[in-house]
Amino acid sequence: MKRGWLVFLWCISAYVLAAPVELKVNLRVGSQPLQWGQTYQTPQGQRYRLDLLKFYISEVALVRPDGREVRVDGLALAEFKRDGPTQGVSVMKLDVPAGQYRGLRFNVGVPRELNHLDAGTQQLPLGVNSGMYWAWNPGYIFYRLEGTALLPEGNQKWVIHMGTDTFRIPVRLHDLQTRRVQINIPPAGGAILLNLDVARAFEPGPGGVFLDWRKQSLRQLHGLSPETSLLMSVVYFNMQSAFSLAQ
Amino acid sequence: MRRRPMVWAGLLLGVGLLGWYFWPRSVPPPPVAGPPPHPTSPRILFAERSVPIPEDNPQTPAKVALGRKLFYDTRLSKDNTIACASCHKPEFAFSDGGKAVSTGIFGRKGSRNAPTLTNVGFRRHLFWEGRSPRLELQAVGPLTAHDEMGLEPEELAQRLQAIPEYAQAFREVFGEPPSLRAVTYAIAAFERTLVSYNSPFDRYQAGDDQALSPAALRGMELFFSEKGDCFHCHVGPDFTDDEPRNTALYTVYKDIGLARATGRDEDVGKFKTPTLRNVALTAPYMHDGSIRTLREVVQHYNRGGEPNLNADVLIRPLGLTEQEVDDLVAFLEALTDTSFTTNPALLPPGGKGGTP
Ligand code: HEC
Ligand code: HEC
Repeated sequence: MKRGWLVFLWCISAYVLAAPVELKVNLRVGSQPLQWGQTYQTPQGQRYRLDLLKFYISEVALVRPDGREVRVDGLALAEFKRDGPTQGVSVMKLDVPAGQYRGLRFNVGVPRELNHLDAGTQQLPLGVNSGMYWAWNPGYIFYRLEGTALLPEGNQKWVIHMGTDTFRIPVRLHDLQTRRVQINIPPAGGAILLNLDVARAFEPGPGGVFLDWRKQSLRQLHGLSPETSLLMSVVYFNMQSAFSLAQ
Repeated sequence: MRRRPMVWAGLLLGVGLLGWYFWPRSVPPPPVAGPPPHPTSPRILFAERSVPIPEDNPQTPAKVALGRKLFYDTRLSKDNTIACASCHKPEFAFSDGGKAVSTGIFGRKGSRNAPTLTNVGFRRHLFWEGRSPRLELQAVGPLTAHDEMGLEPEELAQRLQAIPEYAQAFREVFGEPPSLRAVTYAIAAFERTLVSYNSPFDRYQAGDDQALSPAALRGMELFFSEKGDCFHCHVGPDFTDDEPRNTALYTVYKDIGLARATGRDEDVGKFKTPTLRNVALTAPYMHDGSIRTLREVVQHYNRGGEPNLNADVLIRPLGLTEQEVDDLVAFLEALTDTSFTTNPALLPPGGKGGTP
């Protein structure tokens, strides 16, 4: 009888008490760990180096086997800078009930209700000191990737700044149909490790369009001008599948 | 006896009305004093406006002084060559004298014309798209843009912290070490002192009949008439409605203006109506600096612009004679306030001659 109660209590507390979980990220270029300073090639043979990556994660939820979601409040700013670590970098701390999950989902971006508050008065990870505030088009840059293109005529800096409410990137890493995705969170907590293939942004889009850095207008991908709007969509689409769960 | 309640109700109503009438009401607070009127001029109407000050960034002399120093300091840029004043030069009413587009760090060229900062504290919308709501946030743009000043927030903070006089000034003004945020708050406070209301036009308004030439007077009539029709967009004390408009400058706009942000077809070619104060000092004109002289701008309006589906309804051939075009130009030239461009309080601090 007593035993039964204990088991019951244990079950309840495991369900109710939150276990601390760290969301960690490995940066990849294709399947290889990203290395600052290394020269890479796009599928079109353009050579480049990476200089900086920063992005927001928000609206995280873990998905239970029955499809119910455990939502996690909070907003985190992931920062990767030249010569800093790129593997297993902790980007967000979550508190979730211990148990079995079939994956997670989150958005790369700032939730709409926070995106348009007065950035002058907000604290980190928001506010202008984040380096993610977009002055000409208020709101935050959600995903900010910057690098250098090694062009025949010389090196040129390029930036990809994805932002505005239309470009909040949904990432869905759950699978209820098969049992391929299993995340087990023990009561003591643990880590969820994600891979992010940053080179995904450079995959060509419909008709083979790609970020051709020989064109000056495409070295600043951040708005909806006639030259850039199609590529904004291409990168946005590519980024939705740039994250995966690390095994 | 049925009358009783009515009597009571009447009495109560009367007392209520009396009370309402005599109740002490809060008097609206007197407006915060603006800058002192120009000493040599008659009372100027627009001088009585005061720049709106946001609650979270009150003006103090120390903050304005710090902002002024920062505005002129090239150390706020990646390669130490560019300050705000490099593109916003006081002698050109804080525009980029003669340049169609400006050059930022490492010689990188932008794609737009640097607007005047005359009375910029009164603008409700900033940038050519008009999408930035306040000066503090606008300043983040040039400070961090890779073709303007190009500093990351951390780098800017470290640099200023390493300069003892800045480290101390930020502590005194903000009670905290330098940061991108504090820099923008100080610069915004300085920008709110960039006020100009002493042009011949202002003096004429104040009652000085001699202030405007006959040509400028005729131009003024045209400007505010349905014939010239400038005043619908260039409205109010600063000659701007602060709204994005398409003036049919091109049939196909290379820079699509507001649509760059909204992605909407109907926003292609819309740019914020610029102020016309000190406009004679801020050539070349339009968002891309593509028109060299005021006369050519007026002729653009006179032609009714280029065919453009988004053109504002007010843009149409005006049928102005050559004389009328000249008169409009004379009026635009009468909006120049040299006491603004030579005001020592707005020039580089420490008597350092010239701008970066
Ligand atoms: C490299 C040249 C350059 C530098 C440096 C620069 N600006 Fe500008 N400024 C511009 C241009 C060009 C625009 C118009 C940009 C646009 O609208 O897209 C502009 C626009 C502005 C506006 C908007 C005015 C309006 O009416 O909409 C303000 C305010 C301003 N700048 C202030 C500053 C401040 C403060 C600094 C220093 C922190 C600064 N600028 C540095 C070129 C520059
Ligand atoms: C439909 C609204 C509208 C009307 C009417 C209008 N303007 Fe403008 N004006 C603008 C806008 C918007 C711009 C900036 C356009 C651009 O850069 O593409 C501008 C630019 C200018 C400029 C250049 C200012 C600078 O700093 O570059 C001058 C000068 C000017 N207008 C004068 C006039 C005169 C004179 C008239 C009357 C004949 C007039 N405008 C009528 C909206 C208007």
